[in-house]
Formats: sequence, C-alpha cells, structure tokens
Amino acid sequence: MITAERKPISEIKEMIAPYKKILVVGCGSCVAECASGGEKEVGLLASALRMDSKASGKDVEIKEMTLDRQCVYEFIDQLTDVVDQYDVILSLGCGAGVQAVAEVFPKVHIVPALNTTFIGQTKEAGLWIENCRGCGDCKLGFFAAVCPVTRCAKGLFNGPCGGSKTDRCEVDPDVPCAWQLIVSRLEDMGRLDLLCKVHPPADWSKQQGKGPRKIYREDQRS
Amino acid sequence: MDQKNAGLNISIFFCQQIDPNQDVNRRALERELGNRIRFFPLPCSGRIDSLHLMRALESGADKVYVITCPEGACHYREGNMRARKRVAYTQGLIEEIGLEGERLELIMAPAGLPVNIDELARDLLSSEATTGPSPVRGKTA
Amino acid sequence: MMTESRLKKVLQSGNFAVTAECGPPKGADPEVIKSKGKILKDYVDSVNVTDNQTGVVRLCSLAACALLKAEGLDPVLQMVTRDRNRIALQSDVLGASALGIRNILCLSGDHQSFGNQPQAKGVFDIDSIQFVQTVRTMRDAGEVIGGDKLTEPPHLFIGAAANPFADPFKYRAARLATKVDAGAEFIQTQCIYNLDRFKQWMDLVRDSGLDSKVYILGGITPLKSARMAEYMAKNVAGMDVPEEIINRMKSVPAKEQRQEGVKIAVETVQALQAIKGVHGVHIMAIEWEDVVQQIVQEAKLFPRPQV
Repeated sequence: MITAERKPISEIKEMIAPYKKILVVGCGSCVAECASGGEKEVGLLASALRMDSKASGKDVEIKEMTLDRQCVYEFIDQLTDVVDQYDVILSLGCGAGVQAVAEVFPKVHIVPALNTTFIGQTKEAGLWIENCRGCGDCKLGFFAAVCPVTRCAKGLFNGPCGGSKTDRCEVDPDVPCAWQLIVSRLEDMGRLDLLCKVHPPADWSKQQGKGPRKIYREDQRS
Repeated sequence: MDQKNAGLNISIFFCQQIDPNQDVNRRALERELGNRIRFFPLPCSGRIDSLHLMRALESGADKVYVITCPEGACHYREGNMRARKRVAYTQGLIEEIGLEGERLELIMAPAGLPVNIDELARDLLSSEATTGPSPVRGKTA
Repeated sequence: MMTESRLKKVLQSGNFAVTAECGPPKGADPEVIKSKGKILKDYVDSVNVTDNQTGVVRLCSLAACALLKAEGLDPVLQMVTRDRNRIALQSDVLGASALGIRNILCLSGDHQSFGNQPQAKGVFDIDSIQFVQTVRTMRDAGEVIGGDKLTEPPHLFIGAAANPFADPFKYRAARLATKVDAGAEFIQTQCIYNLDRFKQWMDLVRDSGLDSKVYILGGITPLKSARMAEYMAKNVAGMDVPEEIINRMKSVPAKEQRQEGVKIAVETVQALQAIKGVHGVHIMAIEWEDVVQQIVQEAKLFPRPQV
C-alpha cells in the first residue's frame, strides 16, 4: 500500500486560511489502511479544524466526505455534484489521489493534508515499514525476497557494507540490516550460490529514466 | 485556578465493568446537572476512539474524562492500556489547535471494584479544575 | 613516459607494502595537503586520499591527489559512490588517470546521514563492487558501462576495502571473493584491533585461495587514548575494539596513552607481517600523520624499498 502521514495542523491551517467553505475528502484505500486518510482520520481532522476556527471566532464551514478511492475516476466522480459548493478541497488522499482529483476538477482548489511517504507493509498494528521503491525492475528473486534497493540504506546490490554489526543497520540501529537478512535467508534456503555472481549496475531508467512513468495496456481499454 | 470542575461541561466516558449498576447510579446526577454532564458507558475503555473524544469536545465539553478499570483489572486484558494511548494521541491532536491537553484526562478507577459511577463523578466534579471553559464553545455559546 | 603505480610495483616485487591515509582539509588550502605529504613521503609507498570521509565536506580527493602527485608521492584516489552517479564516476576515473594518478580505491562511502550534510540525497547509483568492475572494464576492455569504447583507457591499480569484523562474519570472505571477481587487485581492511578475529578471517581467505589473487593490506589506526578506544568500540560502525585493548590503554597514565597506542600499532604491524597472505599495512592515523614515521621506523619497515 501507499503510506502517508498527516501534516502538522499548523501547515494545513496555512494552506486553507484563504478559504471559507472547505470539504475534507478522505480516501478509503491505502491511506485508510495506514490510518492517515480514511473516514475516521477525516473526522478527526475536520473536527480539529472546526474547533480551531470556532475557538478563534472564524466563520468557516468544514464538511467531510470519503471516497472509496481518490485515484480512480469512477470514485472521484462522486464529488461532481458537491464540489461547486466549496472553496477548497482538503484532500487526505496520497499524492496520486490529490493530483487525480485536481485533474478531474481543473478549476477547484485542492490542497494536501498528508505527506505521502512510501510503499510499504503493515508489519503490525500501528507499524508500517517501507519495503518497495517501485524501481520497475524487481530483483527480489535474487535476494530472498528482501529488497536491497529499499531496505539497505545504501541500496547495495552486492552487499553487505562494512558497517553491519549484530544484524543492525549502521545508519539506524532500529532497522535490521537488509543484507544480514538476505544472507541468512539464502543460507536457510541453501541458495547462497545466488550471491556468488556480481550483480551489474541497475537499470534506473526503468524508475526515472524519462520522467514520470506510465503503464499502457491496450487490452484494458474500452 | 480556584474554580471547581462543577462549573464546567463534563463528559465522562467510562468502562461499565467498574459499576454493574451504572445505568441506575448515574441517573440522579444526570437529572441534577442536565446537559452539563454526559455519561458514555463503554463495554470496555479500550473501545474509546479519538473520534469520540473529539466529538465530545466539539459538541461543547470543557473537560472529558475517560475512566478505566484499575490497572491489571481489565476484563479484556489491556483495554485500559489502549485507552491511555488513545487519550495521549488525542491530547497531541488538540494541542496542535491550541487546546490544553488537560481537557482530556484518563482516570483509573480505584482498586476494589465495583465502584459507584455517581460517587466517582461527584468526586471529579468537586476536584479543582485544571482548565476553564473551552474556547470552542466560548465564542458561540 | 608513463609513470606506474609505486604501490603496485612494491607489491609485485614481494615487498611488504606500507600505505597511509591523508585526509584533505575542510577548506581550500593546498598547503595542508602538501605538508601532510611531506611528512608521509619516504616513509610510505603510497598515500590514500579520503573522499569526503564520514560524509563531511572537504577538499576534493581528486584535487588533493593531484597536489600529492606533484609533490612526488604516489596517491591512492579514494572514490565513493555515495556522491556521484556512474557518469560522474567514470568521468573522474578518466580525469584521475590523465593527471597521472595510478591507484584507485573504490568504496560505497559512509552514509550521508553521518556527516554535515545529512539532508543530502545519497546517490548510490552503483555500489562499490559494481564500481570496481566498472573501473576494471574501463581499464582492461577500454569500455565504459554500456560498451562505448574509450579513446584511451585509464591506467589504474584497482583496490577495494574489506571489513573482516562486520557481520555476517561467515559471509565476509565470500564477499571478498566477489570483490576480487569484480576486479579488485588490492584490498585495504578496516582497522585491526582484534587480531584473533582477523586471523580467523585470513584463514577463510586462504582457504578460498584469495591470498594469491589479491594483495591484502591490513588496516592500522594508532589509538590516541583509552577514551578513543572506548568511543570507537561503542560508536563507530563496523569497528571491533576488544576489551583487552581498551583495558591496556586504560592501564597507563593519560599522558602515556599515545605512546601505548603507538606500541599496540607497531605490535599489530609486526603480527600482520607474520600472517601468510597479508601483503602490507595501511596506516590510518587520523589528523596524526606524523606518527606514521614513528610506526614505520619502530616496525623496522624503514627505509622503504626503491622500486
């Protein structure tokens, strides 16, 4: 999933300050799973903003709405009938959601309430970890399903570096050394042979070679 | 502050395990204070959600209590611990909009259950207020 | 006439090599480099110049190498993949060779979060092993990554680093083998304080026959104080300073601790000379370059061979 975290309210307030009628729009997909942009978080943020405007004597209208997905037109369309009633949309979608809504409603002001962070996994309740960079050239098959691009601080394809000690990353002792994981998992599988060859330089053009990427599938089009 | 809590709008979320007769026990106080006190019994304090606390504040509460069962006595093992985390999170949220974190307070019921929710609430009402009327209702009330 | 790497010649002639480290200043003053060079000249075969070590901005390694070269030293250009992508790395490799620099040490580099630019974007386009392979291919096949031909290949003796003390230990020798496969011709190791563990590592190295494929230079860093020993043991990633070394430093009065540190360093150099497959030492006396003369003399490695 795409993970995100709420921006500080002070930053959000600054962005919505010029507006009187505000629609807080959540997304029921990834950001709901990571408890940053679902219906409940929309409720919390809208409530906080309403209280803040009341306490400072401002006459602001703040309403709530949550779409199942903010990055797909069919769901964004739910906004069509209401969007004209507001001065601004405060989106709790990920960066993709914010931009998708903006594209559908070119004249509507839309600002983000979240900082989109990473592609990750819900490791346990209340803990999300980054484990994919979307590099476009997955090599997990060589690395016992531990991504060195994402989970090694230096992104080494031929690790480990000289800093790993007692299976912790030298950069952040809270983080396990990805290469320790790779080596021990491959050892358990009897596949240490996979580490004998030198992995050649990665093809980053699949990630950022020509600017933003797209996937085009003729068979999926109507 | 020399004011007592009694002058404020109070919301009390509480674990109903602490007082099996809460439904009866709280009636007198509710009649006495009307809208100034609101009780929200929960099957377990662990069911409390930040959103409940925010809604209580937004609808005019000056002070919100969450009363949990005593430490180690949670019927659902660690519901009271969860309640503590939710309260802490929500305190952080309201502090971001300039409200005092103390407007939310977690109280653990004294050991030796059951207690009488009415007595517990009266104790809270007669204690020194740590906060005054909420600015959220002040401007519009 | 083209000069050759002195380090390579010393090693090929079977001599026990001595290299030292020279950290460029946090400023644009060339005299700092030159004076460090003067101190080290004649006492070592070659001098490594660090590349923005620990992620702190310093005078660039390539320029410092050129200055040392002009002073008659044989510099080892350290280059990290942290700060440059493959275009810049390959370009600098060509530039280094053109300036007469004949040795390169390919590193990934200390992570930028440790330095004075923690908000920098770490490049890590390629890793140290890929970098070794890249330089080797440039030199031997005369090609850059992707196969384009060079008009003139770079002339470089290619090195890499190894840490015998980091985890996972068992895999460390295999990793060295990968570096050698990639094309490393000499290896400089992390500072050695735990000789027992280093010997275990060398056993693995010899078992895999690597000692005959690559020159290994053991890392030496003289301790300045018991406090430094404790600090390194606790706070420096990948460093193994055993309790007995710390206790030995503590056992002498503060003002004699430097001398004790030098003694430990000299003993370690001598111990390394006795280990089969160790071909030299690399002395990293951080901001203490003048101690190198003393260590080299006391370890009876002076004068250096004329090659």
